[in-house]
Amino acid sequence: MVLENYVILQAGIPARVHFTDHVIERRTTTDPGTGRPTSRNVLVFEVDKLNGKDVFAKYSIMAEKHAGQFSPYLEDKSYRGYDFIITKQGEGYLTSWSVTVIPKT
Amino acid sequence: MAQKSRQVEVRMVAEYLKETYPQYPFINKQPLGKVPEELMTALGYKRAVGMTRPFRPEVDAVVIMPGALILVEAKVWNIVNGLAKLPLYKSLVPFTPELKEYQKLPIVMELVVGWTNPNLEIMARDAGVTVRVFCPSWLGEVVESQHRYWTREYRVEREEKLRMRELFGVE
Repeated sequence: MVLENYVILQAGIPARVHFTDHVIERRTTTDPGTGRPTSRNVLVFEVDKLNGKDVFAKYSIMAEKHAGQFSPYLEDKSYRGYDFIITKQGEGYLTSWSVTVIPKT
Repeated sequence: MAQKSRQVEVRMVAEYLKETYPQYPFINKQPLGKVPEELMTALGYKRAVGMTRPFRPEVDAVVIMPGALILVEAKVWNIVNGLAKLPLYKSLVPFTPELKEYQKLPIVMELVVGWTNPNLEIMARDAGVTVRVFCPSWLGEVVESQHRYWTREYRVEREEKLRMRELFGVE
């Protein structure tokens, strides 16, 4: 069991994760552009496997374009039946995420 | 009215893939094309792939089936652009290092749209692209607003809205 609170992705390095649950939280963050506080919805997954190791961690998503890649799996929590390989690329507004969806057999 | 900033196409492609190919692995936002050999030798595979990512075209998804590789491009707006991109993307697959192990598979091109029309079907047939209409109820609203955009009623409504904004000094 690896103890890691949050899964932090490094640009260009894929991470294979399995999610067990999720919540949508309202968080207040500082807008990097204006420096002012702003309130946003954040999609937070519970992660039990990270690159094949058992973990007890969270994966937090603020970007709507990344959250949208998981939207069909949220309502029925069907993400439990898949592994996801997530690769982050770029920084700031140019960040993109390539997600490989692998059904669990 | 739905706006482009709502990431409609991201949700559309994710739902389409889950409904249509639930039993097969797929890759969202797959970059395509060559990564220079010299860069791979100098920096290693992972760093070279990461560095070239912003300069490589990206297909919405690649579905890996036992007998075929399916390139999927989803479009709500500018659907002809989506159609035009697919044959070009297909030409890059043999040079894509991430897809090296699937290069013997035949490639199928799929354009996923919220609505279709006879001219799109003619062009798609000619380009060897399959058109799939995928329009869940939430997307229907988007498609409808897109069609309304060009009507006289909507134009008048829009002009009135702009006039009121100007009158009240609203940005």
